[in-house]
Amino acid sequence: MSGRKPVFNQTTLIDTTPLPADIPRVTEIGASSAPLLSASFFIGARCKPYNDDFMQCKTENAGQGEIKCLKEGRRVTRCAKSVIEDVNKHCLAEFRKHWTCLDDNNQQLWQCRPQEWKLNKCVFDNLKLEKVIPDTPAGETSVHLRTRQIYSHHNSGP
Amino acid sequence: MPQDLPPAGGYEPIQYKRNLPARGFRPSLVLLGVAGIMTYGFWKVGKGIREQNELAREKMWSRIHLIPLLTAEEDRDLVRRHFADQAREKELLGSSTSPYNSDRFVRPTYAVTPSKASN
Repeated sequence: MSGRKPVFNQTTLIDTTPLPADIPRVTEIGASSAPLLSASFFIGARCKPYNDDFMQCKTENAGQGEIKCLKEGRRVTRCAKSVIEDVNKHCLAEFRKHWTCLDDNNQQLWQCRPQEWKLNKCVFDNLKLEKVIPDTPAGETSVHLRTRQIYSHHNSGP
Repeated sequence: MPQDLPPAGGYEPIQYKRNLPARGFRPSLVLLGVAGIMTYGFWKVGKGIREQNELAREKMWSRIHLIPLLTAEEDRDLVRRHFADQAREKELLGSSTSPYNSDRFVRPTYAVTPSKASN
């Protein structure tokens, strides 16, 4: 048949024109879903003002937020990047253990509580970022702190 | 020929009652037991549902914390393509005209692929 080498072209046939030079560069977050899920509450704890700013900008510029909120978006990404970098610097082992566990368990948070507690402790000790789930019913332990996770496959105490 | 008559002293009584032993617990006790099992089961189900709700909220909040980040990244990519599109249009046609009767940002339907593969 043809002598053409069979290659996938979806990775090469993409528009790679960079943004115009007057828009500042920003390093993308570059993390996949499991690390992001693992670090999400720390990102939320540190970057809430920036996140809220960005979402408010998007709401106020409905329909044009993509172009008008670039500045806020850069701040959001820089802040999240700083969180990931700090977690990597101080708690790399715990972080890695937790997100590999998430990856292995269909990203179900309740399967990885022991690893999560270790990560949370390390992050709180080093970065003073705490995982808090808002709107937990009063008088109840937050679900990520319960020693018995009734849906977990491997139920071993703390 | 003598008449057919009942035996002397009459017939034996006919047993019309069933003579089966009543096995197991009293019905009231069985009912109570079933009620107990059901109550325990529903209690467990209730606990499970509440835990599921909490887990769902946890997941929801983790998404809420991530969505600005993901949106920002995608917006930047869209805007980059949009500007590239406009520059291309300007270069080819000499002007850029919006086909839409509004100034909203429209996510492009067609992606322009470069004529040369970029490696």
